[in-house]
Amino acid sequence: MKRMMRPILAAALAAAALFLTVPAGAAAPGVGECMDCHGDKTIEKTLANGQTLSLYVDLQAYRSSVHGGGSCVTCHASATAPHEKLKKVSCAKCHGDAEKSYAGSSHGKLRAKGITDVPGCDGCHGAHDIRKPKDPAARTFRLNIAATCLRCHKDRAIERKYDLPDEKVMAAYEESVHGMASKKSGLMGSAVCVDCHGNHTILPGDDPKSATHRQNIPTMCGKCHPGILEQYEKSVHGKGMRGGIAESPVCTDCHGEHTIAKVRDPSSSVSSRNIPKTCSGCHEREGISTRYALPKKRFSSYMDSFHGIAVEYGMTKAANCSSCHGVHDILPSSDPASTVHKANIPKTCGKCHPNAGPNFAKGDVHVEVSPKKAMGVFAVRLFYTLFISALVILFALHIGLELYGRWNRRRENGPGGKEGQS
Amino acid sequence: MSHADLAAGKVTRMSLLFRIQHLLLTLLLTVLAVTGFALMYHENSLAQWIIRLEGGVHNRGIVHRIAAVLLMANLVYHVFYMLLSREGKPELRELFIVRQDIDDFFQSLRYNLGAAKEYPRFGKYGYKEKFQYWGASAGIVLISVTGIMLWAEEFSMVFFPKVVLDLAIVIHGYQGLLAFLILFLWHLYNVHLHPSVFPMNPSWITGKVSAEWMREEHPLEYEKLKGKGLL
Repeated sequence: MKRMMRPILAAALAAAALFLTVPAGAAAPGVGECMDCHGDKTIEKTLANGQTLSLYVDLQAYRSSVHGGGSCVTCHASATAPHEKLKKVSCAKCHGDAEKSYAGSSHGKLRAKGITDVPGCDGCHGAHDIRKPKDPAARTFRLNIAATCLRCHKDRAIERKYDLPDEKVMAAYEESVHGMASKKSGLMGSAVCVDCHGNHTILPGDDPKSATHRQNIPTMCGKCHPGILEQYEKSVHGKGMRGGIAESPVCTDCHGEHTIAKVRDPSSSVSSRNIPKTCSGCHEREGISTRYALPKKRFSSYMDSFHGIAVEYGMTKAANCSSCHGVHDILPSSDPASTVHKANIPKTCGKCHPNAGPNFAKGDVHVEVSPKKAMGVFAVRLFYTLFISALVILFALHIGLELYGRWNRRRENGPGGKEGQS
Repeated sequence: MSHADLAAGKVTRMSLLFRIQHLLLTLLLTVLAVTGFALMYHENSLAQWIIRLEGGVHNRGIVHRIAAVLLMANLVYHVFYMLLSREGKPELRELFIVRQDIDDFFQSLRYNLGAAKEYPRFGKYGYKEKFQYWGASAGIVLISVTGIMLWAEEFSMVFFPKVVLDLAIVIHGYQGLLAFLILFLWHLYNVHLHPSVFPMNPSWITGKVSAEWMREEHPLEYEKLKGKGLL
């Protein structure tokens, strides 16, 4: 039954299409008629500001576009041949949902105010040459999106006018792990602008509805990194963030945004060399360590250890913060599941020190030299400091005394005295 | 002691073997100090420059360990030499700290302050030399033990908790600083800047000192040599 219905339906649709276009025939011109004028490459008009606008339409491009099967009047409904200035094309007639979400975006809100240098539909999709996003020639094809957005977002005049991040921030994306994956390696799965910022609903990061608002970032990154998100949700940082602690770190706080790089990339904020500084960005802040009762001096005590010095001088094998504390699954040492819980320390140290036993857990890893935290080290250091100082003073006194004695002897004995004879 | 030496008024103070041990000690301690303090004071820009000069923190460690092994070998050789050899045994007896050394120390203080008429009369080694010798020896032994503990950290931690290794790092570093200061201030003063030897006591190179210097600074040794008919 179904099989028989198909051709009938198709015929009915074709008849309907004919009926829709033909009856207006007298007023509505066909594509051929439009192209009589618009097929001329030199046709243009002068705008109010003196600039000229080409009115040429590339029929070839139109025909191979997603709308190429239709006719001019589908969009330019009021067109006659010839005609004066036409009414604005409204895509909403067919693409109602897109229009609606666009209206709530930064671009849409400005556009509604009559500002024309923010993109409308055609700004990103093109006009006569619109192609499906899956078509590699489309402006909205995944691998072309960065170039489409950067047409405006790398323009200094626009950046300044709308107080946008400068071109360095934009250029950073192209050098990032995501940018390189799509641009250099041509990977479709790599994040492009719209994956994080959204497409029609794009909003600035400080808007709670924005996909890039702090509270939405883990979920947003988790779209492509679900395994990591799962670990993060269980970590002290993830629980804090979901619990409404806004300063609990989200993905971008450690990894960066447009600058995200591979862990092995020395420039990455999470490379073994940089991670101590990245973690210290919060953990060395007085306010944070006091507010959440965190141990202090983690950075200086680490940098003074063999691990810290080795990492500072480029030995990437040496342990950094994440080697012991974990990465996305960080838990406080009080949690029995934590890699730095006393009971788990031998196992954690054992990742690098194969024979690590219970003695590894007897003593602090971050040695904070103070009477309360490490009395032994503090006392030995104090003893040596006093002992060395006293010894140096006694040396100096002894030397001074000896010289004084010799000088006295020489003076008493005179040049011909006991000393003089020798 | 050759006749030519006697005629020139020279006395042997350091035999060739002792000079070799001393030279090795000098070179190795310098290398160990440069590589060690660079790590101890790694925040310092000069230290950072030195570490880069040594080819990074990893190579620095290799250089430090090679020098340390040679130094310990030198030390072990020295111990056996002092305990067993014909030259070493009497030398060791000369170095024992005896009651007389303490008396000498106080007498020299009194003398320098003008409270005593006579300056103490030293044998081959006075209290200054003995303090230097035993101080440096004890220091090197302590540095060697802590150094080996830190080098074989996984092995050490089979026996000791981590806190002991934290102490070992502090002791290793500060004991190094102590040894360095004794050698730099005390020893270099005694053998270079002291008025009786300025600019240098040549015995560490030639092995010999003048008989006259011996009579002045180490009269008991001078008399002993004379009594044996060696002068």
